[in-house]
Amino acid sequence: MSEPTAPENALAVEVRGLTRTFGARKALDKVSFDLPQGAFLSIFGPNGAGKTTLVKVLTTLTAPSKGSARIFGLDVVEDAVELRERIGLISHNPLLYPDLSAEENLRFFAEMYGVDDAADRVRELLTAVELDHRRLDFVRTFSRGMLQRLSIARSLLHRPDVLFLDEPYSGLDPHAVEIFDSLMAQIRSEHTFVMISHDLAKGLELCTHALILARGKVVLSAPKAEIDEDEFTATYRATVGTGVS
Amino acid sequence: MAETTARRPGRGLSWRQFRAILRKDIVMELRTKEMITSMGIYALLTMVVYQIALSQAGTAFDPRTIAAGLLWLAFVFTSMLGLNRSLVHEKDQGCLEALLLSPVDRPVIFFAKAIGNMIFLLIVQVLTIPVFAFLFLQGSEYGGQLWMIPVALLGGAVGIAGVGTLLATMSVNTKGKDFVLAVLFIPLMYPLLLACVSATTAAVLGGDGHVQQFWSGMGLIAAYDAIMVLAAYALYEFVLGA
Repeated sequence: MSEPTAPENALAVEVRGLTRTFGARKALDKVSFDLPQGAFLSIFGPNGAGKTTLVKVLTTLTAPSKGSARIFGLDVVEDAVELRERIGLISHNPLLYPDLSAEENLRFFAEMYGVDDAADRVRELLTAVELDHRRLDFVRTFSRGMLQRLSIARSLLHRPDVLFLDEPYSGLDPHAVEIFDSLMAQIRSEHTFVMISHDLAKGLELCTHALILARGKVVLSAPKAEIDEDEFTATYRATVGTGVS
Repeated sequence: MAETTARRPGRGLSWRQFRAILRKDIVMELRTKEMITSMGIYALLTMVVYQIALSQAGTAFDPRTIAAGLLWLAFVFTSMLGLNRSLVHEKDQGCLEALLLSPVDRPVIFFAKAIGNMIFLLIVQVLTIPVFAFLFLQGSEYGGQLWMIPVALLGGAVGIAGVGTLLATMSVNTKGKDFVLAVLFIPLMYPLLLACVSATTAAVLGGDGHVQQFWSGMGLIAAYDAIMVLAAYALYEFVLGA
């Protein structure tokens, strides 16, 4: 399986007719969109719109029922193992082992990703997320904000090209949001981002591209430059009442 | 956070990933002692129940004739407790998702988890047998060769851990996972248990033809282990993706 190299201005994410069904229910219904390399896509939509399912398909955790999705030319089904080396996920759930220390967690995931300079990389990231002084403490003793910072470090260990953020601000206090924003600003230029958000203002502030999902379908998808914010807000508010797919 | 020195992980990671998962499971178990403690106490309580059940058997009754059956019964129920915990632990904390996000071939997860489960089961077996011998076999004569017991225990533990890890992964996402695991596990364990009891009984009782009976049992155990572990290995990716 060859690993395609993306040229400048290449597409980072290509989604074509993506459909995912659970029994008779369509969680995703012919979803299609493109995202250029280095872009920041914010995905909005009401609960049950299919946002998390979309991210699960794009991160290879769930297989699509129909259609295709490619990230840097790698198919989410055919090239799943290679693709996992190039993506990271920051979720509202920290995805960390509570009974391991911060350092042990990162060392474990560094091993899983085959990071060669694991010890240096772990120390570098712990310093970057300002948790170096807590590196030997069990993760179960961490606050929500600290967990989220460590989660950022975990997701960056293998230097992914695309970072998926699944409601990363959920449950963070204002100070933790500030720290999270500062970390995001530091890495913004180095990755392509796909973020699920319920916070319209925050999502629009960060994004270069925006997408609204409702009942598994794309209601609106456009670069931010082409979006009229009032119109976008009105469309979003209209979808919130449409219920689940 | 300089990303300029970016290096892609190389191929041939599987061994490194296998060791990392196994080490992580062992470190966490040594730290929390959740599985060993719950399995150990359960096995001990089973012994107490056995003692009550056999208290009226009288002096003419030779407990060696049913010793193997009692032991394997305890091991099967004890292992279900541990198997459930090994996957629930990952699932409850959302870590299974993080594990599945990494570029790891799913069978590597299977083998690491199965070997971890086997190690914990072997530890419980090693702790249980002296207690069992003390309670039920005092003054009884051991008929076979001593090496037969660990060989039979190891063979049984391989099958229990291999099939059990697959079934625990299947049941972890279901409602009433304890029930689902038991319903799937016991019928699939039937041929293995039969062979394990036969081989262990031969080892305990000795007598004419016990070596042949032991190897006949071990042959069945080996065949079961090979077929079922290979089947579990082949099905694991499908089960995780379901």
